[in-house]
Amino acid sequence: MPHKPPTKEELERRKIVGIRDEIITDVTSTDFPGHYPGESHVWDIEEFRQGVRVEFHQNDPLEASFSLIGVDASIANAFRRIMIADIPTLAIETVFINNNTSVIQDEVLAHRLGLIPFQGGHEGLHKFLKWWRKPTDESEVNSSYYDFNTVSLRLEVACTHNDQAAPGETDPTKLYKHAHVYARDIEFCPVGRQDRYFSGADAIAPVNPDILIAKLRPGQEINLSMHMHKGVGSDHAKFSPVATASYRLLPTIDITRPILGADAAKFAKCFPPGVIGLQKVTRTEAAQTGSGYEGHEGEVRAVVEDPMRDTVSRECLRHPEFKDKVKLGRKRDHFIYLVESTGQWHSDAIFLESVTHLKKRAMDLEKQVINMVR
Amino acid sequence: MSREEYQVPATGSANTFGGGSFNVPAPRDYAGEGGGVMHYMCGDCAVRVPLEKGAPIRCQKCGARVLYKERTKRMVQFEAR
Ligand SMILES: [Zn+2]
Repeated sequence: MPHKPPTKEELERRKIVGIRDEIITDVTSTDFPGHYPGESHVWDIEEFRQGVRVEFHQNDPLEASFSLIGVDASIANAFRRIMIADIPTLAIETVFINNNTSVIQDEVLAHRLGLIPFQGGHEGLHKFLKWWRKPTDESEVNSSYYDFNTVSLRLEVACTHNDQAAPGETDPTKLYKHAHVYARDIEFCPVGRQDRYFSGADAIAPVNPDILIAKLRPGQEINLSMHMHKGVGSDHAKFSPVATASYRLLPTIDITRPILGADAAKFAKCFPPGVIGLQKVTRTEAAQTGSGYEGHEGEVRAVVEDPMRDTVSRECLRHPEFKDKVKLGRKRDHFIYLVESTGQWHSDAIFLESVTHLKKRAMDLEKQVINMVR
Repeated sequence: MSREEYQVPATGSANTFGGGSFNVPAPRDYAGEGGGVMHYMCGDCAVRVPLEKGAPIRCQKCGARVLYKERTKRMVQFEAR
């Protein structure tokens, strides 16, 4: 008997991860050679091109949400990991402390400074600035800093009494000058060609000027300079361009039998707002025999409006009245990403860069494999 | 951009790359603050107390006997990690 090729519905069904009240089914993908007798499923670039899709839901400089459809989890996860750990950013790496009489210890202060996200002109950050590598010879370190691999910053704050403060004032920020040291107090010191890339709105500056670095009291002083270098998140989290880059699979809600009347309202309350809508049963629907709507014309029924908003809490599976009426699941090849930039890159550019990075790594690997075989 | 693009800097020739290298800030010069006299911080009133060798350990302003050593005047280098 010749094997029948799978229908379109069957192919869609195979992509669904089942979510039941106490078990998750069909976790692994099955579209690989040898799984279904008589079906090839050999990976094909043309077929992949036809199937892959990117849809943006939100695209702001600091936050982007988009769907990547038609790829395997291994690829989707590679993009996520590259975004977190392999896209370079500029961060404070060395702190030269001349004086620090604040209550915060030197090493803690240095660590805090390192974690502050900075922004600047994109051309300068991504094209002009190159890597800095610490020379193996200690004596050469001082001559390894150039305008194209090091950005110099300064922080000089001293706390004094405020003579204009009202008598009886208890607020330290009014009683003293510079009682709080903020990220905005950090001063950028351009060197060489850096003026060309980082001036005006493109200057190197903290993304969030209100980050509190330290608190001072009269007589205390912080006086230090800093060097910034390029780095990647796999080296230290301060270099990660994202606050979070994550994905989830698109939830599916399949109402298999009608949910009507008061049940429908209760069903809608089992989901976040906007997921389930309520509609009146029309005359034509009620006239259709076998639809389950017979004799229910004008009653409200539950319809799926936007499954993307669902958090898949599985609340609807706890109620006996919805038993065998609803099927929950997730689409295995539909990844909804959320990329939150720390400010140095545009959030959508981080994803594009991760694609470029994976391509480059794949081509590097190809070269290595060819050399190995030779 | 790749990690491998690191270029070996030309030592001593600052203008080779059209930009110019810069060095680590030099430590501040604190010499000449009076030889033999050490300054301490009063534990009670935080005033700066100059003490000569053999002088009684006491704040000249408030009389407190607890004095603290001042922080080093040298530049201290840290990794921001
Ligand atoms: Zn005193």
